[in-house]
Amino acid sequence: MALSATVSQKKHVKRKAPRGFLRRLFKRQKPHLRLETRGDVLVHLNCLLFIHRLAEEARINACESKCGIIKKDHVVAAAKVILKKSRA
Amino acid sequence: MANNFSPDSEPTARTLLRRVLDTADSCTPQRRRSDRISAQRTLLETPSSRRRSIQTKVTARQRSHGARSTGRLAHGQAGGQLEEQTPRTLLKNILLTAPESSIVMPQSVVKPAPAPQVVQPSRRKSSQSSLELQLPELEPPPTLAPVLLGSGRRKQKLRLSVFQKEVEWGPQGLPVSQEPPGNPDASSLTSSLNLTFATPLQPHSVRKPGLARRPPTRRAIDVGALLQDLQNNSLASTPLVDNLRAPVATLPTDIVLEDTQPFSQPLVGHSPNVHYSLPHPYPGPEDAEGTVHHRTQGSIPELQNHKLQPEPADPLEMTEAEGSKRAMEAKNPEESSGDEDISDRPGKRPSVRRSQRTVEPEEPKRSSKDEDISDRLGKRPSVERSRRAVEPEEPERSSEDEDISDRPASSELASNVPEFLQAKQLDQFLEPAPSSGATVLSSEPQEPVLARTHPRPRTAVPRPRQDPHKGGLNHYTKLFSFYAKMPMERKALEMVEKCLDKYLQHLCNDLEVFAAHAGRKTVKPEDLELLMRRQGLVTDQVSLHVLVERHLPLEYRQLIIPCAFSGNSVFPAQ
Repeated sequence: MALSATVSQKKHVKRKAPRGFLRRLFKRQKPHLRLETRGDVLVHLNCLLFIHRLAEEARINACESKCGIIKKDHVVAAAKVILKKSRA
Repeated sequence: MANNFSPDSEPTARTLLRRVLDTADSCTPQRRRSDRISAQRTLLETPSSRRRSIQTKVTARQRSHGARSTGRLAHGQAGGQLEEQTPRTLLKNILLTAPESSIVMPQSVVKPAPAPQVVQPSRRKSSQSSLELQLPELEPPPTLAPVLLGSGRRKQKLRLSVFQKEVEWGPQGLPVSQEPPGNPDASSLTSSLNLTFATPLQPHSVRKPGLARRPPTRRAIDVGALLQDLQNNSLASTPLVDNLRAPVATLPTDIVLEDTQPFSQPLVGHSPNVHYSLPHPYPGPEDAEGTVHHRTQGSIPELQNHKLQPEPADPLEMTEAEGSKRAMEAKNPEESSGDEDISDRPGKRPSVRRSQRTVEPEEPKRSSKDEDISDRLGKRPSVERSRRAVEPEEPERSSEDEDISDRPASSELASNVPEFLQAKQLDQFLEPAPSSGATVLSSEPQEPVLARTHPRPRTAVPRPRQDPHKGGLNHYTKLFSFYAKMPMERKALEMVEKCLDKYLQHLCNDLEVFAAHAGRKTVKPEDLELLMRRQGLVTDQVSLHVLVERHLPLEYRQLIIPCAFSGNSVFPAQ
């Protein structure tokens, strides 16, 4: 009952988290560490938020340069800012 | 007493009756007198008792005669002995009349047509006797009388029967259609009595209608029919789904068959999802997007065609040719370009075929989907780019096909951008619609070229290594393109991938540090929360749960946010 059964019609989740991918990634990076069950979902959430911020920043850069397209340099500039922010 | 004596219809009966009278008189007189003294009921009883044993008409008649004779005797006693003789004659007449008249209508002669009821009450005394007489008359419906009397309530039943008979006589004396006023039940009873000549249980049933039940055979038949119908429907549905080539025709049938479902479309989409391509209704939600009208319509038939073709295991070339033909049939100028692209790549097909053959049967569909994706790109503002991308991307497409085919996980993960899309495969195809096609194309500029040129075994080798990783990252690149809401370059998307890779490395390092700080070797959600707090995502105003609710689907939210359930249980347990 805790995990209520999904509706029969809709058994797939929209925007499913690549849990397997994340677990594999973490294992490859830190084989001596373990990741909890819900940890990878939160990691996914973290990635989502990161991507979100990155996209926002890139869009702002593109708009500032008055480009209709997001170009690589926009993305690079945005990444610099965001990564720095994330580290702190 | 009835004075109307119809001519004899059964001389034999008459003779019998006379004989019975002669014989019966000798037996009964004492009883009759005693009965008469005691009560008329007893009088009734005796004939009733006699009636019970009756099975033959003759015997019935005999006893009826006897009863009548008793009645007559009673009458006679009441009136005097003189009446005995007359009753006999009357009896004879009555007897004569009784066989003439149908069992249903014994009183036509007995009672004068006018005012039978009036006569009845007047004849209460005599009526009882007459009733008694008439009761035996009615015995010819032998079942009724014995049945009536068979129950324990002789008197009541007799009276009822008498009553019924009175009522019967009323309508019977009169035209049958008429019913005695004030006795609808009785009339019904009488009618039942009259009608249920053959079924002695009827009186019981009348009093207890619940006993009489129809056999439930009908139910079984109905169930069988239902099952057959269900089978027929199921059989019909599958062939209908198979014939996706006539999607319009299948649409109403599918909807009709799956009427019980609230949404026929998702059902239709899901049920055949495993084996067949998406049915036609899916273009509906796609069209709702607004941006991918023609492309989707054109692409989906292509998809369907492509999907359908591998199923019958047609050669890929044939499928492509057919798909191109069908695309042409779709009569979309844009599709024509797509068809040209399709037709233009016979040479590049080997890579696609390779990937298709090496991969699961679903994946050739994806390759076709890639074409569709590329076609959809044309709609974007970067039409030219997409157009160029379409043609020069052929090599990339082949690689894409490989990549796409290679990522079984990513295919599932592709359900990113469009929230309203439900089908997995659809998501894979349509989510890229906004710009993921470009992302996909740009994501692997180098590998595709190399991979395309490599023979099959070579493509198989590097797959498990890089492609899943790339596939997972692709997942997020699609999200990036969605969040950006602007067209993007391929290189930009590649850049995004690199950034994400770097970010994940940093993430792992941070988690390790946090876990080590807590003295653990397992990374727990607390570490994650701390990480997010440090990043500034989680603040005092914005808690982790808020973020979870905002960005994660329900299933994951259930995992993370503890919720109380019935029975004093909380999940997830803390």
